[in-house]
Amino acid sequence: MSSPLDALLHARTGPMTANMVLHPSEFGLGRVPARLKPAATTTAVCGFCSTGCSLKIHLNAAGEAINLTADPDYPVNLGMACPKGWEALTPLAAPDRATTPLLRRNTGVPLVGSSRSASGSNLEPVSWERALAAFTDNFKRIQRDHGPHAVALLSTGQIVTEEMALLGALAKFGLGLLHVDSNTRQCMATSHVAYKQSFGFDAPPFTYADFEESDALIFIGANPCIAHPIMWQRVMMNARKPEIVVVDPRLTETAQAATLHVPLRPKSDLTLLYGLAHLLIARDAIDHAFVAAHTTGFAEFAGFVKQFPPARVAADTGLPVATLERLATIIATRKRVSFWWTMGVNQSHEATRTAQAIINLALMTGNIGRPGTGANSITGQCNAMGSRLFGNATSLLGGYNFASPAHREHVAGLLDLPAASIPEQTGYAYDQILDAIDRGEIRGLWVIATNTAHSWVSQTRTREILGKLEFLVVQDMYATTETAQLADLVLPAAGWGEKEGVFINSERRLGLVRKVARAPGQALSDFAIFKLIAEAWGCGDMFRRWNSPEATFQILKTLSRGQPCDFSGIRDYAHIAASGGIQWPFAEVGPAVPRRPESQASQTRSVSKIPIHLATQADSGSQPQLPARERRLFSDGHFYHADGRARFLFDPPRPLPEPPDAAYPFLLLTGRGSSAQWHTGSRTDKSAVLRKLAPTVLTLEIHPDDAHRLAISSGARVNIRSRRGSAEAIALVTSTVQRGQVFLPMHFEAVNRLTVAAFDPHSRQPAYKATAVAINAV
Amino acid sequence: MKADTHPPSAPASVRSFLAELLAEQSRLDTPVARFSHAHDAASSVSQLSALAPQLIPLTAPSPGEQYAFEVDLDSCTGCKSCVAACHSLNGLDENETWRDVGLLVSPSRARPFTQTVTTACHHCADPACLNGCPVLAYEKDPITGVVVHLDDQCIGCSYCVLKCPYDVPKFSSRLGIVRKCDMCHSRLAEGEAPACAQACPTHAIKIVTVPVAASTSFLRAAPDVAYTQPTTRYVTQRTLPENLVAADAARPRVQLAHWPLVFMLTLLPSAIGFSLASLPLAAWLTGALGLAASVFHLGQPLRAWRIFLGWRRSWLSREAMLFGAWFPLATLAAFAPRVPRLSALNTELLPLAATAVGLLGLFCSAMIYIDTRRRFWRASQTFPRFLGTAVLVAATLTAPILAAILLCAKIGLESRTCFDRSVSARLQRGPLKRIMGLRDLLGVVTIVLLVAAPGAHNLIPLLAGELIERLLFFRAVDAPKMPGIPTA
Repeated sequence: MSSPLDALLHARTGPMTANMVLHPSEFGLGRVPARLKPAATTTAVCGFCSTGCSLKIHLNAAGEAINLTADPDYPVNLGMACPKGWEALTPLAAPDRATTPLLRRNTGVPLVGSSRSASGSNLEPVSWERALAAFTDNFKRIQRDHGPHAVALLSTGQIVTEEMALLGALAKFGLGLLHVDSNTRQCMATSHVAYKQSFGFDAPPFTYADFEESDALIFIGANPCIAHPIMWQRVMMNARKPEIVVVDPRLTETAQAATLHVPLRPKSDLTLLYGLAHLLIARDAIDHAFVAAHTTGFAEFAGFVKQFPPARVAADTGLPVATLERLATIIATRKRVSFWWTMGVNQSHEATRTAQAIINLALMTGNIGRPGTGANSITGQCNAMGSRLFGNATSLLGGYNFASPAHREHVAGLLDLPAASIPEQTGYAYDQILDAIDRGEIRGLWVIATNTAHSWVSQTRTREILGKLEFLVVQDMYATTETAQLADLVLPAAGWGEKEGVFINSERRLGLVRKVARAPGQALSDFAIFKLIAEAWGCGDMFRRWNSPEATFQILKTLSRGQPCDFSGIRDYAHIAASGGIQWPFAEVGPAVPRRPESQASQTRSVSKIPIHLATQADSGSQPQLPARERRLFSDGHFYHADGRARFLFDPPRPLPEPPDAAYPFLLLTGRGSSAQWHTGSRTDKSAVLRKLAPTVLTLEIHPDDAHRLAISSGARVNIRSRRGSAEAIALVTSTVQRGQVFLPMHFEAVNRLTVAAFDPHSRQPAYKATAVAINAV
Repeated sequence: MKADTHPPSAPASVRSFLAELLAEQSRLDTPVARFSHAHDAASSVSQLSALAPQLIPLTAPSPGEQYAFEVDLDSCTGCKSCVAACHSLNGLDENETWRDVGLLVSPSRARPFTQTVTTACHHCADPACLNGCPVLAYEKDPITGVVVHLDDQCIGCSYCVLKCPYDVPKFSSRLGIVRKCDMCHSRLAEGEAPACAQACPTHAIKIVTVPVAASTSFLRAAPDVAYTQPTTRYVTQRTLPENLVAADAARPRVQLAHWPLVFMLTLLPSAIGFSLASLPLAAWLTGALGLAASVFHLGQPLRAWRIFLGWRRSWLSREAMLFGAWFPLATLAAFAPRVPRLSALNTELLPLAATAVGLLGLFCSAMIYIDTRRRFWRASQTFPRFLGTAVLVAATLTAPILAAILLCAKIGLESRTCFDRSVSARLQRGPLKRIMGLRDLLGVVTIVLLVAAPGAHNLIPLLAGELIERLLFFRAVDAPKMPGIPTA
């Protein structure tokens, strides 16, 4: 074979071949090309969704990330990652990273309405000193002229907990703002409110092992195959031959993998859930002992659901009675039933009661606190859970109550602040902040790591409102987001992988994020930016103790102590790393556990002494405790209300905010389009690989009958109109959507020009998934 | 905009704090400083090897067998981790992927159905890429059956891209070569699963041992297995609907123009036409330009000297050899009469030989495209188009009325591809209709001129029309592929 002539004629080796040859890499990574051989590895929790997968980052000798693989040793993802995780490093190297602060050139023309749009080219690079001066001068001027609450903050679920806490404290205690909200309003506000009202604390009870230990998994408004592929991996590992039920108007990827798809009419889920409660009561499939010992309000609830006999439920949901019966049978007969919900529930005009209707089913059948059970909200963003506890928006830092003097006193004491610096009430929610801008009450806005001008509902109006601001500051990795293009000042932020801190995932697991790449140019971590602003504002002294993320983590531990989310037993970052992440609660054990203050306003019960979380080993010398890797809540049946009981909460269903009519005959559903896209695409669109894995054009899914009637074929261009705007898309004719309904993926900017501004009254979460639209071929 | 534009008024403390924060931001911990995961080597290797037995065969294939991908359609959820993991673990270029995930949909109203399909190289039993490669840059491993591409042998002619019905080999303009999936054969050799199989959260991708033959469970909506005998097995416990279509089938894709080939394949037939019209100098000049154009098509022209290697199977290799022989003959035919010292060679035989070899070369040119089995490039279209150019050039110069009639006939034949439901017809009536219109306009002008004002000047509109026709030949071809996702 290898004669000199053969070698000449057949170049089996050479530089191009060598470039791709795989070599052993050590670190358990198998073989990789020589140029990608790491000098070391470290791990970091992924910065996209709330699954909280650990990624093993491959480092070169300089400590720079050169590649990554999924971490096989982490209890969440067991060596797997979705494409966003695999591509997590790519968006850091995007050419459009913001590398210096950018300040809008003084045009002398006030920006009103849409004149602000497409004016991003007027942003010019300035020094940090100048940017800080612009920030403080403008916001202080607005506060002087219009009151301290005329400046508001829209934060995010994408930054680390330490940053969220520093931001929340800086905004409310340092800058004197009141109206602070975040994009978690768009994804998780409903779960937060539902749990808080039902359980007494925002406490998702599950652990991912419940996916594997369930006999029946009931997914309501959730499409984990696409939205949470690594959670679906755990479902696939379930060896109990479970029933998998998917309640969703669309035949989603998950619905196709299910044993039962329940294609109900959009937003009829509340009626369906009440109808199921009725059927279960009729069959006496109730865990009476559990209900009696651990809940209140069941009798009233049982009386209420009498109004939901199968005939009415079938009529309202469009489902045959047989399907209702089959669902009830599954819930009644399977030993371990778990309920899982995501945005299909949370983004609705009656979202909180729908989530609580799910909780009610779990409570009344005793499907909580046992393996493979629970009323389980699958969270959206990587640190939505951190935001819910430490965003300092609706709850005071650490899940406390702004209205309680004792709580304010307690938090002020822990933070060395005058209690008077803590506001006594919560501020506006996201939609209320925008309304207040509209009427001139709020004049300055600081937006951090979210893309309001793409993701919020009713974009035409939203952009008009943003145009009314006197000063808009956007802090982001990219100056190219739709919102940054509208800004007066852009602050360049370091991204995931360029800073450290803690994320809290869906199952309450604290995981570490590490600095493995240099931020470009003058970009700084959000933590550093907040510290700089505190300094420039003149309130730097307030945050002297918050001198690094890890020092801040120690402060957060003290804030959590005695709360249901107590993680004071975590020693430090190294402890989290060594344990494969640590789920809360993980309280410090020993004699000197300071108790949180009890007061009339405090309606929640301390749980600091319940040792449910500890592994059997009790060696607590210099080595920190290693927690059990998977832990769930409520195994003792004790909830966080002062009486220890969970609540049955319910309200009659309400009609759709914008039902289809003759002019707008279709109902538009929106949602995640593919596993390769994240929200507004500000990061995932930066990866050539991820761009290949998702449709490059907005695609409208429409039923064959409707398409036939409108003379639309697959691939044809269609126009979609709502009362608020229009969008153009390519049709995909498929009966996975029902007649009269169409679906658009949310990752395209045009989609929210259409969506209706309707909100759940309890959580103020927008109802993205039910807008009346008209369709025609172009 | 009311941003105050005061000069920087930050106090010195802020400035020094800023310097400190910027310095801290750029500081990375070096591996020796911390997290040197000493335990990793033990823990994770065991995980890789623990998984391997589920995902790859434990023994080498026996004679008559080979390795193949097996995809469990029931487990694939369309998460696409396989694509991203292949990209990362194999160190591919930023925009390069060796695996794709497509979507099949059923248009049925009664039974809504979609199915995601992950697909890479099918490591065919009779690989079209390998058969077409003019430099033998593909080899099928005699034991594993893996179809391996030799990156340093590749000349970047992209013929494999045209030959493969599954759109597997991808041309890299950075490297000037194509690359493709090699089933991670070096991982397999060490008992390690391929990147895609390792990374699939539901273990939907496995390597199995199969007979060296077309897969018995290939995908219904995919191109016919008879051509290359792909070995990938798509398995399911369900019965898939009969009428599945690819989600990207509705919008046909306009194909690459391949401008150097457009020029080459207009100029070389014209050269033969000049030969037929006994104009050896014009033939030589046109042919030289055509051959020069062909060089621009290659990503790695300096490696092209090996192009004869594939002559046993590759029409491209044969074409190159024949035109390689034609050029010296044409040169002699053109210049021998003008150089007294070469008068000995000045025979009737030389131009005849040049013409004959050139015609054979043109035959090979056409066969290159016919051999891809694309419908638009079928023999009844390709031969008349390529040879037609040669004949039309000769006729324009010698028998203009005949030329007009032949051109009428040729345009009629071309337009037959516009009026059915094929991909090419939809392309020519849709996104390419302007180019199509230009081709027809030039054709009509030429026909009128041939009748009204015969003469050599008519070569200009004629060749312009032929050039546009050749452009359509490439852009409107029905390129088969595995199911994809909707694109623009």
